[in-house]
Amino acid sequence: MTLDFAIVVKYQDALLLGLWMTLKLTLICILFGCVLGFLLALARTSSNVVLRGVSSVYVEFFRGTPVLVQLFWIFFCLPLVLGIELSNLASGVIALTLYMGAISSETFRAALKAVGREQMDACVALGLSPFARTTSVVLPQAVLRAAPTLLSNCVSLFKESALVSAVGMADLMFVGQNISNNTARPIEVLTVVALIYFAIAFPLTRAVTVMEGCILKKLAI
Amino acid sequence: MTYSFDFASVFRNLGPLWDGLLVTIQLTVAANAIGLTLGFALALLVMSRWAAIRLPVMLFIEFFRCTPAIIQIVWFFYCVPMLFNVFLGSVTMGILALGLNLAAFNAEAYRASIQAVPREQLDAGVALGLGPFQRILHIVLPSAVRNSVPVLLTNGIGTFQQSALVAIVAVQDLMYQGKTLATQTYRPIETFTVVALVYFAVSFPVSQVVGYLERRREALAS
Repeated sequence: MTLDFAIVVKYQDALLLGLWMTLKLTLICILFGCVLGFLLALARTSSNVVLRGVSSVYVEFFRGTPVLVQLFWIFFCLPLVLGIELSNLASGVIALTLYMGAISSETFRAALKAVGREQMDACVALGLSPFARTTSVVLPQAVLRAAPTLLSNCVSLFKESALVSAVGMADLMFVGQNISNNTARPIEVLTVVALIYFAIAFPLTRAVTVMEGCILKKLAI
Repeated sequence: MTYSFDFASVFRNLGPLWDGLLVTIQLTVAANAIGLTLGFALALLVMSRWAAIRLPVMLFIEFFRCTPAIIQIVWFFYCVPMLFNVFLGSVTMGILALGLNLAAFNAEAYRASIQAVPREQLDAGVALGLGPFQRILHIVLPSAVRNSVPVLLTNGIGTFQQSALVAIVAVQDLMYQGKTLATQTYRPIETFTVVALVYFAVSFPVSQVVGYLERRREALAS
């Protein structure tokens, strides 16, 4: 069998379009997912039983089921439930945002726990409002502590985003599979697609390690 | 909303779903057997003194950790038969793909806990006159395995969830049966909800056990 990697070069425009879709989807969902995750973490640590219960069930459910099932549910069932049409991109964004929100809420929760009780007492003593306390005392510390894990959540999200190909969104994985089927050259095309994912995810995981070291040093002072 | 639910259509078809669940469990258990054993071997190899051993193993681990599981599975199903001229059953292929993926993640878990064994304990081993092999067997191994249990369980349950991906290459697991049923009965909401609940019913207890183990360790450590 002869390998012919030149075939991949011929399709580079299509692959780049797919990569752009993957990156766009990932970035949008990171943004929304982090906000959702922080709010969920606050809800899970709140004193309100209803808020705590609802957010716990949500997080446990999304962490306890395969992302593929969530994706199918949102693609095929959500439009029926809501009675509206959802574009492919919108469904993909909803599904991956909900997933990202669930996993990063756990990250934020661990980071929130590390903000000491004394600081809360200090806020009360200084007469800060709950809102000011959350935005200027809790948030900066939580984000700093959560940063490495959040970045590794982003890498997970980037990898999970390949699942949207299963419901027909034209991301890198989908384009790659189409080209591989049409040219009957799966080895070359799929390998290159895997290498593209690797080339993006690998440096990011290294960055996570470096960041952990820096933050540990900073917090140790 | 005007949709009328009919969960009976799902319950009339529990047979295929049950068969699917059995395939999913089979995939999970076999992949975990590979992941737990091969993962430990990889962890030892990746800490080797010789770069010729360390680097290829490191590359293997990082490659599996840094690419989407779905492309690993698709790659396996399309390319392994072409490259090596072997034709295995689809469940076997699924087990191999999931098992190698899990081994890479478990190797990292083992490595972290092996490195967490305090230096003094090894020095104590030397002082007591234990040989290098005895030190690994009696000092490193027990505490490394004990420390990595929560992560290994989390990874194992992660593989249970990832196993749904084999539905894309037409292995007849729970997800595949659910997809087929949803199309046949025109009842996607009911079917996918039941499928999601089945996955949840298996994952949730395990994640609770992990949470319990971690809390207990924190309590012991403080």
